[in-house]
Amino acid sequence: MSDTVALLPAYAEDGVVAGAQARSEPDWLLARRREAARAFDATPMPTTQLRPWKYTGVSDLVIESWAPWSPQLTIEAPALDGDAFAGSLAEAASDATHGDAVRERLGSVVTATEGRFIAANAAQWEDGVYVRLPRATTLEKPVVVTLDATGAPAGAAVYPRILIDAGAAAEASVVIRFTSNDQPLLVSSVIEMHAEQDARVRVLLDDRWGAQTKEFTTARSRVGKGADVQLSSLAIGGQVIKQTVESLIEGEGANSTIRGVALGDHDQHFDFVTLQDHIGPKSTSDVEIKAALAGASKSIYYGVTRVEVSAKGSQAEQVNRNLLLSSDAKADSDPVLEILTSDVIRCGHGATVGPVDEEALFYLQSRGLPRRAAFQLLVAGFFQSVIQDVPIDGLAEELETLVVDKLAAAEL
Amino acid sequence: MTAMSDKILEVNDLHVSIADKPELQIIRGANLEIRPGEIHALMGPNGSGKSTLANSIAGSPAYEVDSGQILFQGQDVTEMPADERARLGMFLSFQYPTAIPGVTMVNFLREALKARRGEEVPAREFLGELRETLKTLKMDESFARRYVNDGFSGGEKKRAEILQLGMLKPSLAILDETDSGLDVDALRTVAEGVNALRTPDIGILIITHYERILNYITPDVVHILVDGRIVKSGDFALAKEIEANGYDPILEELGIAGEAVTA
Repeated sequence: MSDTVALLPAYAEDGVVAGAQARSEPDWLLARRREAARAFDATPMPTTQLRPWKYTGVSDLVIESWAPWSPQLTIEAPALDGDAFAGSLAEAASDATHGDAVRERLGSVVTATEGRFIAANAAQWEDGVYVRLPRATTLEKPVVVTLDATGAPAGAAVYPRILIDAGAAAEASVVIRFTSNDQPLLVSSVIEMHAEQDARVRVLLDDRWGAQTKEFTTARSRVGKGADVQLSSLAIGGQVIKQTVESLIEGEGANSTIRGVALGDHDQHFDFVTLQDHIGPKSTSDVEIKAALAGASKSIYYGVTRVEVSAKGSQAEQVNRNLLLSSDAKADSDPVLEILTSDVIRCGHGATVGPVDEEALFYLQSRGLPRRAAFQLLVAGFFQSVIQDVPIDGLAEELETLVVDKLAAAEL
Repeated sequence: MTAMSDKILEVNDLHVSIADKPELQIIRGANLEIRPGEIHALMGPNGSGKSTLANSIAGSPAYEVDSGQILFQGQDVTEMPADERARLGMFLSFQYPTAIPGVTMVNFLREALKARRGEEVPAREFLGELRETLKTLKMDESFARRYVNDGFSGGEKKRAEILQLGMLKPSLAILDETDSGLDVDALRTVAEGVNALRTPDIGILIITHYERILNYITPDVVHILVDGRIVKSGDFALAKEIEANGYDPILEELGIAGEAVTA
């Protein structure tokens, strides 16, 4: 870039520490902030030489020029007592009852030194969500988190942090809704998930970003014996959406499911990276990511399913499908299988990139549906296989409405 | 209205080729007229152009009209997109209906009916009509919750086409080989469905290779299509003649033996 951008003091170590002190954070967290600030300083921006960043260049993006800003955070959760908790991460971290548990888990799945966006998050997050469910605790309704950045000034940065800790046989379902305005906004989020033996965790990321939001998310889970984790992502809004979703499938018989839906128009850019790392024997995983792309939008998928030597008797499925709704839309798909043991039940992967089926289009048109209405129906149907697995009431209908609304004005 | 408006369909000297292969002309001067209440059967050997004629009347972009005219209720629709023809009241029952995974029959029918009527159909009214039509066709209600043609048996696909016919109430129904791939029981069910949904205003064009279906739906006129032209028309007796002796005697009589199979 030709013109120099102002580097904000909030990102330097002194600035980070001052921020933590102003929030009266406990000493252990203050120390972590300091480490994160140093990691941020020492870690370069990823380059397109790195495979997961091949199609999403960020060399022009200067994180320190985006001003940290606190979005409106609303958490709807049932009242819990004892060790159970569902609410503000900042409060829990400073709390006498929950502070130690947060200290033990926070940063244990995603560490600050892994990358620049993650380090920025570790240093800058002001609040987020903490869900802790002790042994055999079940929530009847999902925890619904709304992160509202519609009031953010142009050039703001938000750093959402989410920590989910499900004890043995506990069940948690968390819906995270993101919104913003159409001003430039940088988002770097980190989601950490722990699922102990036989725990069941469901997370839905529902992105309704404005036109100039750039999101960089890392979500990672550790999945214990017999546990089952599902992360689903709806990417509807935003300018650049880069989501890295990874599962360390450690326990015997553990399962990880990743689901993704992207609906693009104009110059929207989606980049999904997944890792299903089978470590425990007889573990299972399933990835299905679908993108429908109008205008000059673009979707990139790079996913690795790795079956380690220790993961004998495992099964894995990995699918990425891209529907091009206009001649300017593009998709690149690269699902990779790395199987390090000869003892697997079944490992499959598939990728497609192509336009709408002409026969299906004529069939619908021959019944009177105008071309656009036919596209709306076909795209809603295309997403159905992903959405039917996401256990949130009314989601299918809601997505259908979103598809119809967005395609009503899309460049087809 | 002109005098022509009493005809539902009028096809004048139609020449049609495949859009991707303009040099391959399939329909080479076809003429046809259908009036309200009439049932026409279009028969012919394999490769004679029956499905091409059906699809080009419905407006399939896979075909290109080189010359000639298609008039629907007196209006020239030769260049009109398929969806506009359908909204005017034209209906094609497909020989091979396309599967659309993820789209339920009920959602699809609701959208189609909305398009046909030009306005939103209230949910209660729509569901009432759907139940009624399913009942007429002896189809289970669970059918409506399945994805369009996805995993349907041959018989189910054809019944699903007739269900759409019953819901959309077109003025012209073209049934393209609706009898193919059906056993006797399925054929009877489908034919009874067509008869139950028949009104004095509708014109029907049945395209078939064999006369089997015509024993259930009696045609007023039978046309024989050979090599892209209607070479002979007659009454039901013509279909019977084909059943008894095949197409060869007719082809020989017209001096065009052997030409059809190479088309």
